[in-house]
Amino acid sequence: MVIKKIIFNILIILVVVMTLDFLFGRVLRHYYFKETSGFHYRTTYSMETTDADILIFGSSRANHHYIPELFEDSLKMTFYNTGRDGNGILFQTAVLKSALKRYSPKLIIIDYYGEFIKNDEAFEGLQSLLPYYRTHEEIREFITLKSSNERIKLLSEIYPFNSQILSIAIGNMERNKQRYDDKKGYVPLFTIWPSPIEIISKYEEYPVDTVKVEALRSFLDLAKRAKVRVLVIYSPIFEKFEKKQEIEICRDICSHEDIPFWDYSKDTLFLNHNNLFRDVQHLNDNGAKIFSNLLVSRIKHDLFRSTVNKVSESTSSK
Amino acid sequence: MVFTSFNFLIFFPLLVAVYYIAPIKSRWLVLLLFSYFFYINIKPVFSLLLGGVTLSTYVFTRLIDNTTNESGKKAYLIINIILILLPLFFFKYFGQINNSIISLLESVHLRWPLPEIKLILPIGISFYTFMAIGYTIDVYREEIEAEKNLGIVALFISFFPLILSGPIERAKNMLPQFNLLKKLDYEMVVQGLKWMLWGYFMKLVVADRIGIYVEAIYDNLQFHNGTSILFASILYPFQVYSDLGGYSLLAIGTAKVLGINVIQNFNRPFFSTTMSEFWRRWHISLISWLTDYVYTPLSFTFRKYGVWGIVIALLITFMISGIWHGAALTFVVWGFMQGIFLSIEALLKNRRTVFEKKYNLNNKIFYISFGILLTFILFASSQIFGRANNLNDAFLVYRKIFTTSGPLFIGNPSVFIFSLLSLSLLLAKDFTDEFIPGFLLFDSKNKIIRVIAYSSIIILILLIGVFDGGQFIYFKF
Repeated sequence: MVIKKIIFNILIILVVVMTLDFLFGRVLRHYYFKETSGFHYRTTYSMETTDADILIFGSSRANHHYIPELFEDSLKMTFYNTGRDGNGILFQTAVLKSALKRYSPKLIIIDYYGEFIKNDEAFEGLQSLLPYYRTHEEIREFITLKSSNERIKLLSEIYPFNSQILSIAIGNMERNKQRYDDKKGYVPLFTIWPSPIEIISKYEEYPVDTVKVEALRSFLDLAKRAKVRVLVIYSPIFEKFEKKQEIEICRDICSHEDIPFWDYSKDTLFLNHNNLFRDVQHLNDNGAKIFSNLLVSRIKHDLFRSTVNKVSESTSSK
Repeated sequence: MVFTSFNFLIFFPLLVAVYYIAPIKSRWLVLLLFSYFFYINIKPVFSLLLGGVTLSTYVFTRLIDNTTNESGKKAYLIINIILILLPLFFFKYFGQINNSIISLLESVHLRWPLPEIKLILPIGISFYTFMAIGYTIDVYREEIEAEKNLGIVALFISFFPLILSGPIERAKNMLPQFNLLKKLDYEMVVQGLKWMLWGYFMKLVVADRIGIYVEAIYDNLQFHNGTSILFASILYPFQVYSDLGGYSLLAIGTAKVLGINVIQNFNRPFFSTTMSEFWRRWHISLISWLTDYVYTPLSFTFRKYGVWGIVIALLITFMISGIWHGAALTFVVWGFMQGIFLSIEALLKNRRTVFEKKYNLNNKIFYISFGILLTFILFASSQIFGRANNLNDAFLVYRKIFTTSGPLFIGNPSVFIFSLLSLSLLLAKDFTDEFIPGFLLFDSKNKIIRVIAYSSIIILILLIGVFDGGQFIYFKF
């Protein structure tokens, strides 16, 4: 009798919760895919709409370092920046996979930033893929990497939009669209970093996490299989150091995959100018302009002038 | 496996089903097996240590019980306490002692670097060690008889709801319950589930959300102004409350569903009007443990010094509490500050009582509000040492709060707004429970209101809970 009563009451609550979950979840889904600005919109656009010739991939450094019009004007190609703050290589591979399902861009640039140390960094951002689980079969394998229970959690309609309610509301506001007009994915940063450059005497060596190495490799393989030209870049950073393990690993992977790797971490054009940075890791808009122009000229010269001339070492990083 | 892991949502219903299907006489065994399964799943090797503490406690409590000679009893008591404390000291303070010796060797140029050995603190060790010590002392003081069934002792020390972060239970409450487990009780199951639900809300919606903001500030102190640091320092006590309070409710609720009553760990501490009242409402199980096994014997020892004896006992007790939290100097200062606050209150107690009576202040809203605010400020200021990564950072926090200002750091607007929203809900519930006890949602007489209240909390957890947030704060203690 007692058991029946308990089960009956739990069932009542379950039914109410499932109904509310369904209603709230459907409303959130509707408005998520109706967004006209913001990072949700940019990811949806990258996965479902863009047919740009050049695609930029990466985390916040990609998002804030590559200015579309400079690439478009000079290279006479269309451009979209898919970079998103705080998202790791697995997220980027999933977005690439979705884009490649629709079309093949002419050039993919990946701004690689991140250590190959064992932590959850590679899995960062997979949460952002949850809204696409139902409609994008090709990315499901990435979501299940997050945890083996994701499939069960995704029975909830609200779960894919967990913590997103405010961003969804903002992304649907016309005012937000006017304030932050989409610059083909690029989001400029405007303040200036006030502190002098940090000199790192030595970065500690760490045991390499093969999951991350494989993640970068699979991104590159995916692009190569689609016969898309790929370029890996380590963009400027406001730190002075002799050697960084992740840069060496990245260089090795690229060399092995026969993909150009351009390292700007030691470019004195940036190292001596804090006014080009917003913070240690990010260029501001002025810095991004200089960097984009520099990159465009080099791409023009090294990649599109001659298909033979593939360099794996930076010559500009002096 | 922890309460907030997805696996727990499979583990717990399975346990409840097996537990209530099993004959009452063997339910303790079901609990013991599930408790060890729960703990082994965190790190199997730690369960050997747990088994060692259990065995030592069982053997020595039995020896104490069977010995008539007072000095023999005392010897067994001391041996067991030392044996139990050794692993705690080793794992908890190894790092600090190790670093101190390395610094010493370096200072005399005798350091010869070899590959470093890193030891992980066995989770829950501070909690089950205290429970085992408490039990041993209770047997020594003849407050309870030594349990003859090794399995029951093992269950007491390893009981899964309590092992990771308490509440630090007492043998005299738990052993009789384990020996006489109850039949399925509707009221207890419902109450337990309600507490679990609110515990999940406190942890996933409040603590982990606030934690994102506090971490963004405290881990980057050099980049933030005094306004933002002050705001984070105000939020931090609420984070700890909702983290450990949430954990405690999950633990108490889980036990309640199984028909076992566990002591309360928090009682709306932020409505305390004095520090002594605060410490009767905050982490109650730890403070009552320290009161019974440290403070009371100490104040008895120092009784000849009158009120100053109380002051000495308070200072020592809270220093021990600080050291229990961790080997860092920040925790020592934290404990010392609590001791100072409570000592001042003890010294001024008589004058304060006279003053309150003279002006009839005890029922005045402004006086109660002032007391609540002052108590919060004192506690929050001490918690700066509890949160800062080291002493330098703690002093930097104070310096920046008093010397720099500027706009408040918002960071991710969702994090900021959800933090404030969830905290408001938590405080609103605590406020109504404290001052308007008739205003009930979870316990409303109307079933529809109750169902809507429970469902809304679940939906709120799904909407704004942090599912990939950090561990419980007290797992590291």
